[in-house]
Formats: sequence, C-alpha cells, structure tokens
Amino acid sequence: MRPLLLAAQSPAVHLTSQTRILAAAIAIVFMVMILDLIRRGRLQERFSVVWFVAGLGMLAGAIFPGLLGVVADAMGVRDTNVALFSVILLLLLGLALNFSVIMSRQAAQITRLAQERALEKAREQAAERDGNDAAAERTERAAPHE
Amino acid sequence: VRELVFIPAWNEEDSVAAVIGDVRRALPEADVLVVDDGSTDATAERAREAGALVASLPFNQGLGAALQTGYLYALREGYDCCAHLDADGQHPAAEVARLLEEVRADRADLVIGSRYRGQGPAAAGGSQDGPGGAQADAASEAQGGAPSGAAAGGDYRPTLSRRIGTSVFRFFLTLATRQRFTDTTSGMRAANRRVMALFSERYSPDFAEIESLQLAVREGLRVEELPVRMLERVGGSSFLTPLRSAFFIFKGMIVLLVGQFRPRAEARP
Repeated sequence: MRPLLLAAQSPAVHLTSQTRILAAAIAIVFMVMILDLIRRGRLQERFSVVWFVAGLGMLAGAIFPGLLGVVADAMGVRDTNVALFSVILLLLLGLALNFSVIMSRQAAQITRLAQERALEKAREQAAERDGNDAAAERTERAAPHE
Repeated sequence: VRELVFIPAWNEEDSVAAVIGDVRRALPEADVLVVDDGSTDATAERAREAGALVASLPFNQGLGAALQTGYLYALREGYDCCAHLDADGQHPAAEVARLLEEVRADRADLVIGSRYRGQGPAAAGGSQDGPGGAQADAASEAQGGAPSGAAAGGDYRPTLSRRIGTSVFRFFLTLATRQRFTDTTSGMRAANRRVMALFSERYSPDFAEIESLQLAVREGLRVEELPVRMLERVGGSSFLTPLRSAFFIFKGMIVLLVGQFRPRAEARP
C-alpha cells in the first residue's frame, strides 16, 4: 500500500512544453518512417503493427502528459521518469524476445528447405542409378554372354 | 529388408571414400548415403566416385540437421532400418553391422554404439568378442563404469576435455532418462522406422546426440547401448577446445533441462 500512497503524494508530471513538442515530432517522424518502409516493401505489414502502436503511444504521451502520471500511479512508482523508462525497457525486451522466436522459426524453415533440396538431389541420383542398372540388365538379357 | 547407412560429412574429402568403401564391404546389401553438410571441399565428388548417394545441403547446417536429413531420406524412401556413422574413419563398419543386426532382430528401436561400455553379455551373442573382452568388462564395472571402458573398447583414447564432458553428460542424461548411458555423444547408431518417424520430425539442430537420446526414451522407444570398438580419427581434427568444451557442456545441461519439460508427441503406431 505504501508505494501507492507515495505515488499519490506527487502526481505531477514534469514535462516542459519543449519536451512535449520534441517527443510529438519524433513520434510523427517515426510513424512516417514506418509507413514509408511499408510502402517501399522493406517492411512487412505484420511486423509493422507493433512499431506503429509504439509510435502512437509516444504521440499520446506527448499530447496528454497526464497519461504518464496514470501509468506511474498504477505501477506504484513515484517518479514518472522511472515509470517511462521501465515501460519502454519492458517493451523492448518483449520485442527482442519476439524476434528471437521469429528467427528460430525461420531457421527451422530454412533448414527444412535445405534438407528437402538435398533429398531431391539424392533421389534423382538414386533414380538415375536404378535406371542405369535396369538398362544394363536389359542389354544383358538382349545379348547374353556367349 | 532394405537398409540405409548414412554418413554425415562436413569437409571430409580425405576420409569419406575410405569410410564408404568400408561400409560397402561390411554391408554389401545396404544403400549408402552421404549427407554432405555444405562442404566446401571435394567431399561430395569423392563420395559419388566411391559409389554413394549424396544429399548435399546447400549450406552448413550443423550435425543435427545433417543427421535429420538422413533419417528423413530413410523414412521417405521406405527403408526398414537405417544406421549412421562418422565420416572421419573413427567408426569401423563391421561394428555398424552389429548395431543393425540388433535393430533387424527387433531387440531395440534405437541402438547406440558405445566406446566406453565394456564387452558385456549383450555382445556375447554377437560376432566378434575382442580378446580379453570379459576381463576388461569386469574392470570397467568395478570402477562404476568410469571412462576406463576405453581400454575395453580397444584403440580409442579420449582427450581430457572429452572425458570431462562425457562424464557430465552421462550423469545428467542418466538422471533425465533413468537409463544408464555411457557414450552419450556417440555418432554411431542404428534405428528402425519408429525412430525415423520421430527424428525426422523433431531433432535438435544444435544438440543432436544427447537430446535425441532423451527424446527417444521419453517417447517410450527402446534405446540400447552396444559396446563397440572405435579407432582414432583418420582425417580432420576434433572441434573441442577447452573453452568450447565448457560452453558445450553448459549448453548441453540447459538443453537436457528444457527437454524434460517438453510436451510428448502424440503416440504414433
């Protein structure tokens, strides 16, 4: 209970309007960048959602600084800056893990693809060899040893 | 009975042809497949010249992926049993033939060639008992299965880092499977179709040997070790430096721990 009380004692968010304008500008540039990456086919839509949400969050925080206070309150943190950094850090951690999962899946897919190709080649070679054997047998039958 | 012997090979041009020749002499009826794991030397050409089928992975994928390729080929092409051995000439093909015989007789689903297990009663029925096999077995048993089994195995002498790694893995794998394994990293194995089906679906690319044993036991397959004779390698060098060994051991322990919590695959007929 004590952290909640402490947080309640200092609800003020210390953001100057200069910081807020800067944050909003960065958020907008960030989102435009993402849209551009999608447009040029450098980023697939399904990977862009989370980045777009992050940009929106940044923008929301700049426009409504009270939001940060609400988040800090909910976390029981007195200092809104600490709340901000913790949230961002956790978000990035989650994203990094998410990418490791995607990478693992793709590594498995690449391996299977490589295996399928290798098997195809071996199968061709086996078929060729069986074909040669059969042909050799045919000639043998057609012209038996004298 | 159709049999496939496959040999994972990564840059083994010096030894692969001799190994293929050895297999063809010991197992004339078996098909031989070399899984070329993205070799940059003439491994694939040497293998083809020596009369083996070659499955070439386009880039190096690691031993696990190479072995899985072999299991996959055996499964898809309808082989009844399969076996694999290393391409560096450490594994005599005559010993592989003994492993295959166990699978053929349906005494086990997966048979591991162990260089540490003394010539025990399991091998007594088999063909070649080395001279003094029984007495060496008694010696290794007396020491609680310590790596002295190498003496019983014959010509194989492990390095220090390998010995440490071997005992650590042996301990943890025994703990995980409640079955005694002496040679956890042995690359000489024989298997039937149940194993092929399992390994072609789930086979760790990083930690092939140990995790596959754990997996097979967990899936209720009969896994058995057979004492075999192994030789010093002909070409290439071991990839185990002390630092790598430590990392290898650490990774292996994590893999085994995680493996204990893996969901079991649905029982297949």
